[in-house]
Amino acid sequence: MTELAMRYARNSAGHEIRLDVPRGAATRVHLPDHDAKAHLVTAVLKARGEADEELELFGEPTSALRARKREQLRARVGALSPVVGLIGNLNAWENISLPAAYHGSPPLPEVARLAHEVLEGFGLAPRAFFAKLPDQLGPLERKVTALARLLVAPPELAVMDALEEGLTHAECACVGRFEAEYRARRPDGTLLYVDTLEDA
Amino acid sequence: MLQALREIEGGVRLSLNVAARMPRLAKPPVLESFLRQVYFSGVTAATGVILRACTLGVLIIAVMIDMLDADIDLAVKILLLLVFRELGPLAAAVVVILRTGTAISAEMAMMRVSGQTRALRYLGIDLYDYLVVPRVAGVMLATAALTLYVQFLAVSGALVISPFIIEASFTELTTRLFELFKPIDLYYSVIKSLLFGFAIAACCCWHGLNPPDLTPNGVPKVVTRAVMQSAMLVLAINAVFAYLVFGILFFGLVKAQL
Repeated sequence: MTELAMRYARNSAGHEIRLDVPRGAATRVHLPDHDAKAHLVTAVLKARGEADEELELFGEPTSALRARKREQLRARVGALSPVVGLIGNLNAWENISLPAAYHGSPPLPEVARLAHEVLEGFGLAPRAFFAKLPDQLGPLERKVTALARLLVAPPELAVMDALEEGLTHAECACVGRFEAEYRARRPDGTLLYVDTLEDA
Repeated sequence: MLQALREIEGGVRLSLNVAARMPRLAKPPVLESFLRQVYFSGVTAATGVILRACTLGVLIIAVMIDMLDADIDLAVKILLLLVFRELGPLAAAVVVILRTGTAISAEMAMMRVSGQTRALRYLGIDLYDYLVVPRVAGVMLATAALTLYVQFLAVSGALVISPFIIEASFTELTTRLFELFKPIDLYYSVIKSLLFGFAIAACCCWHGLNPPDLTPNGVPKVVTRAVMQSAMLVLAINAVFAYLVFGILFFGLVKAQL
């Protein structure tokens, strides 16, 4: 039997959503609308579903978890999503390094090395890029910044929310390399791509 | 009424939370945010107050001696009383409310409305640690520094410029100033300005993090409320503090039964 990284169910407003995400795989899901997508991403990031949602993460039902256990589960998931956008008054480097600087790990030189690797992988010059505020970045550049921030501590389950939204055809091709970047740092990780039927 | 009680409860909780979390200032991003706040609230505000503070000192001396026929003793005494006990801390608080209070409340409300505070939570970053503590600590320090700076400028302005417009020499004014100066006035103003800074920043942070609605329309409402309530808090603290420390209220109109 396949081990699941996540099991999700929601029954609301005429939609019934059931989702099994196998561990270590990349799963693509088209949800009925933006509301359903926001609910799913939020539930995963909070490690807690609403009243009409059921969520299991790494085999643990999240409905009656202790706060500490929920915190531990939260630390194992991450998302590249507008729900976890960039902080507007911090430049790209500060955005990438903020979680590491706050939590004290990994060390900042390691974060800088990783950020350089990711940015150079996408043909961006890190030195000039780091100084820019999110408003000065293009849509793809913002997503690359968020990817670099996510990869500083690559989560076991990464939700990729509407990755191609707002991008040109050429930029969409670049986004296709996000999975490779993630796999390079978390070979056993699970990826969940979500978008809406309208976007698809 | 219910809204007012909710705001008071929220403000008290936030203040206690901030006081308990002051050691978190040692975390690098929190410290960086604190230094930025000190720079913005204190250093960049410093140039704007030079002329106003000097004028304040000169006006006090000139009005006392020239218009009210006070002698040098009385004029310097009133200069010290007004500048150290009342106008210095109040002038700095007004500058901080207008420059920093508006900025903090608008910035926080924008972060809340645009979902950036939610993003911080999902990154495992505590909003109190990262947003509130450095701002409150930074504004406290900046308000105290700005108060001392305003007092220094007002007294210096009075001593240096007044001899050109009234019949009193620089030496006379300075001699009387050092004779009449009491250190308690300085301690009093420093403690009061720290309290002003705390109240302004805590009030603006609370309103910024609790906008009436999560739309861009909520931001100006937040700023208006934060500024109004900060100003009222400063006046209330000023009155209570004067009553507690000197046993007088409203320049002596109300006296404590000590």
